[in-house]
Amino acid sequence: MKNLSIGRIFAWFCLLLFCTVSLLPIWVAIKTGLSHPNSVFTSNSSLWPTDLTTGNFARVLGMESDIVLSSIKASPINFAIAIRNSLIYTGLIVSGQIFFSALAAYAFARMEFWGRDVMFYAFIAATMIPSMVLFIPNFILIKEIGWLNTFAGMVAPNILMAPFAVFFLRQFFLSTPKELEEAARLDGCKPFTIFWRIALPLQKGPLATLAILLSINAWNEFFWPFLTGHDESVRVMAVALSDFKSQVGDGQPDWTGLMAAVVLSIIPVIVLLMLFGRRIVDSLQTSGMK
Amino acid sequence: MRIAKILASATAISALLSGVARAEDVTISYWMWDGNQSPEYRKCADKFEAANPGIKIDVKQEGWDNYWTNLTTGFVAGTAPDVFVNHLSRFPEFLTNEVMVDLTDRIAADKTDMAGYIPGLAESWNKEGHQYGLPKDWDTVALVYNKKMVADAGVAEEEMMNLDWNPKDGGSFGKVLAKLSVDQAGKHGDQEGFDKTKVATYGMVSNRKGDYGQTEWSWLAVSSGFKYIDKPWGSKFSYDDPKLAETFDWIKGEVAAGHHVSQEEAGKIGGSALFAAGKGALSPDGSWMIRWYKDNSKFDIGFAPVPKGPEGRRSMFNGLADSIWSGSKNPDQAWKWVQYLGTSECQTIIGNAAVVFPARPEAVDAAVAAHKTNGMDVNAFKMLATPETTFPFPIADHGNEVSSVLNAAMDKVMLGDGNTAETFKAANDEVNALFQ
Amino acid sequence: MEIPVFVPSADAERMRRARRRRSNLVGWAFILPALIGFSVFYLLPIFRAVEISFTDWNLLRPGKWVGVSNYVKIWNDKNFWHSMWVTLLYVLYNIPLQTALALGIAVLADRLSQSVVLRAVIVAPYLISNVVAAMVWLLMLDPLLGMTNEFIRWIGGTQVPFLTSPDYALMSVAGISIWRHVGFTALLFYTGLKSIPQYLYEAARIEGASEWKQFRYITLPLLRPVMAFIMVTSVIGSFQVFDVIAVTTTGGPANSTRVILYYIFENAFRFNKMGYASALSVVLFALLIGITLIQMRVMRGGDSDLA
Repeated sequence: MKNLSIGRIFAWFCLLLFCTVSLLPIWVAIKTGLSHPNSVFTSNSSLWPTDLTTGNFARVLGMESDIVLSSIKASPINFAIAIRNSLIYTGLIVSGQIFFSALAAYAFARMEFWGRDVMFYAFIAATMIPSMVLFIPNFILIKEIGWLNTFAGMVAPNILMAPFAVFFLRQFFLSTPKELEEAARLDGCKPFTIFWRIALPLQKGPLATLAILLSINAWNEFFWPFLTGHDESVRVMAVALSDFKSQVGDGQPDWTGLMAAVVLSIIPVIVLLMLFGRRIVDSLQTSGMK
Repeated sequence: MRIAKILASATAISALLSGVARAEDVTISYWMWDGNQSPEYRKCADKFEAANPGIKIDVKQEGWDNYWTNLTTGFVAGTAPDVFVNHLSRFPEFLTNEVMVDLTDRIAADKTDMAGYIPGLAESWNKEGHQYGLPKDWDTVALVYNKKMVADAGVAEEEMMNLDWNPKDGGSFGKVLAKLSVDQAGKHGDQEGFDKTKVATYGMVSNRKGDYGQTEWSWLAVSSGFKYIDKPWGSKFSYDDPKLAETFDWIKGEVAAGHHVSQEEAGKIGGSALFAAGKGALSPDGSWMIRWYKDNSKFDIGFAPVPKGPEGRRSMFNGLADSIWSGSKNPDQAWKWVQYLGTSECQTIIGNAAVVFPARPEAVDAAVAAHKTNGMDVNAFKMLATPETTFPFPIADHGNEVSSVLNAAMDKVMLGDGNTAETFKAANDEVNALFQ
Repeated sequence: MEIPVFVPSADAERMRRARRRRSNLVGWAFILPALIGFSVFYLLPIFRAVEISFTDWNLLRPGKWVGVSNYVKIWNDKNFWHSMWVTLLYVLYNIPLQTALALGIAVLADRLSQSVVLRAVIVAPYLISNVVAAMVWLLMLDPLLGMTNEFIRWIGGTQVPFLTSPDYALMSVAGISIWRHVGFTALLFYTGLKSIPQYLYEAARIEGASEWKQFRYITLPLLRPVMAFIMVTSVIGSFQVFDVIAVTTTGGPANSTRVILYYIFENAFRFNKMGYASALSVVLFALLIGITLIQMRVMRGGDSDLA
């Protein structure tokens, strides 16, 4: 299998081409963040930063910067706080979503109970109503409870349930053989024990994938945290970025500052991916029934 | 007796407590969207707080899009600020929904100096004798030009100051646009052999043409006699006016000749970006962009007034105001702050920062002087701020729906080959039907 | 249906009932937390949205009951039909290409390399939010200043007004969205591939089946539950495309990218017609339920070939 056939070379070529297209825009963001603000448009089509400077990064972080422009008086983002908040927010949401969704998904895939299919389709249907019309009633509810500007209010609608996760895990439970679980049941194990000790560990790979995707989603989640958590003490990265982006009223956004901020904001996610990446890949590889 | 004594001391304590409570500071929240102005308004707030012990001002700034979303949800949920910066395009909707305090009686009671504002500004915030905001600033439109390109084309700056235009042959403005256009071979638009398919520099770049065209086309159309709407707060738009179609046919002619950037090429990043990138010699824009142009142009720039049309020079005159939320718990203190924002003292602080043109003439002078020290002659914007040379934003109900219909129509006119007058007529009928 | 071989005694009947009751109880206990979240933050507001769709609520002032008039208006609203048409086109541009690409990449990555870096590169675009992705592409696709057109001109082509011409805008928006999501979808496929038992491939190889045959007769059928999931969620997502359009085209030029969700957004937050926007949402909701049921039926997403 490891010989270099024409087909393999072609396959590698396709994969590399895809990687280039994937990464180019990200490089453009980095390059723009490294350019002087007044070079953005004159050399927008260049692949390299013009008038290379780290001033934008300094500016965004609130440090002394060599870029002094009267039209940009944007207040810096307090990165330490924003990242802390994003970590708390993402951590809470993802752990809650995975645990509760796995419970529900397991029930939908494996258990017989009255109303099962109706409930399952109702859960899926929840993703079909445009979230725009859900925001306002939910916002009013959170405000009535008095949870505005608290993590509780920010995570409440999503922590117990992610239709996407329920659906995803159900499909994977469905595609795993159930002999082990049957055996455990005959041995007299309780349903939760079977779920926790036998069914769940078999889904390490899907759970890892789900954790990555849900984390990225939660990290980028904007509108709901924007409505409910606008105080700096709970303001997450995505909201801070958006506030930064639209600081200049009409006219042009602060492109270089924004791109610098974007690059800084995805670094924590990349670090996390790198830290857990090996583990995730391992679990992906061991999850298949060998 | 003892009980009475205890009771008495208890009331005394509670009186004391309530006294303390009364002395507690009232915080007035104040929201705005312009990040360049919020530090200056903070300075105003500091002065105000010093003069009014017991009132604290919380200035909060948030970018344009987030600002309106937050304001609306604030109105719905009861978390809106006491005082907010208001925009004419939102005024009708806020009025129907009664989210603004009617300031008329307070103005009369406090004899607020309304005559000291530049004429026309306070009036825009008035409907049927009721005042809903105090003016804070204004803006006009002028031509920003690339000094080097103008010199290379052999156009004297003097000439730039005195351009005239008409929809028939474009007047001297049309001739200058031709001269300023340069193709890749270096030929100018007025020379033999100019290749209009390979233009390196357009005579004029601007944003895509859209709804009200404040900086893009309004100064042309209105200078030839076009009128948006029958009256402020009217219900009859006149986009079917042949003068508008005439103006657009002229613009399309310039696009076809390679003197003006096309609707497709104007892109979404806007005329200012094209100008800064050296793709155009001239860009019509608003006074709020002065500092942006100075910072982002790697060449010398100048400002010229918009050309004189058949009816003279015309610029849209737009102004922001401070309004008080009808749900404010402390309307009296809020009113004090709004009044202070309109005083000469605060307006001059804003003027000195040279960000916008304040609503009081003496503060405008401060702004012009501040720009001068930065090396900017901004007279082209200031000279148009008179009742004769300006026209108001066409304020009316259904503003966003009107603008949505018109944006699509403008695209059709600029991109398609259909008849300009017919497209505008159809759009105008659709717009007027909204008011039925 | 199993045919009973003997008539159950009353005792056995009672036991079976008890077992069923317990299994009902356990099932509901497992879905309880999700059910609470679902009821409070989805179901309640959905009912509320349906209720609002029968009013003329404008967000700022209490609405009054207007019966079905919003629904009648939708039927006669040419903007609604236009936006549905645009949305349908978008889904057609978006889904087939994205799914095929993602599957291809997942299979390639699975077969060629186990490297973490490769996998990270594949999902990299998903790290950036929709809004930011749209802004970066706005810079890259600009007709005069963007590098894409610079490149096209350099190889001798004529510049393409990607986002500013009605002929290209919708395709470009679909392209941006494919760029961001294809890695995401590929990762889902990849996870599905990894769950396919390896012994099946080994057996096939021993029998001398070609790579294509293995793909056709092992991979594809066993991937079906995952495939069903991907198709359903990406079609739903595709019908609800919004962010990229709000940043790059705002529904233009000449309404060529005014998809249904953008139209709902305009009605809700720009035209202050929350009642009408809710009615539009309910219509979209009903439509998506229909489409999903058909998809699940066609793909038999509810069962598996393994069990």
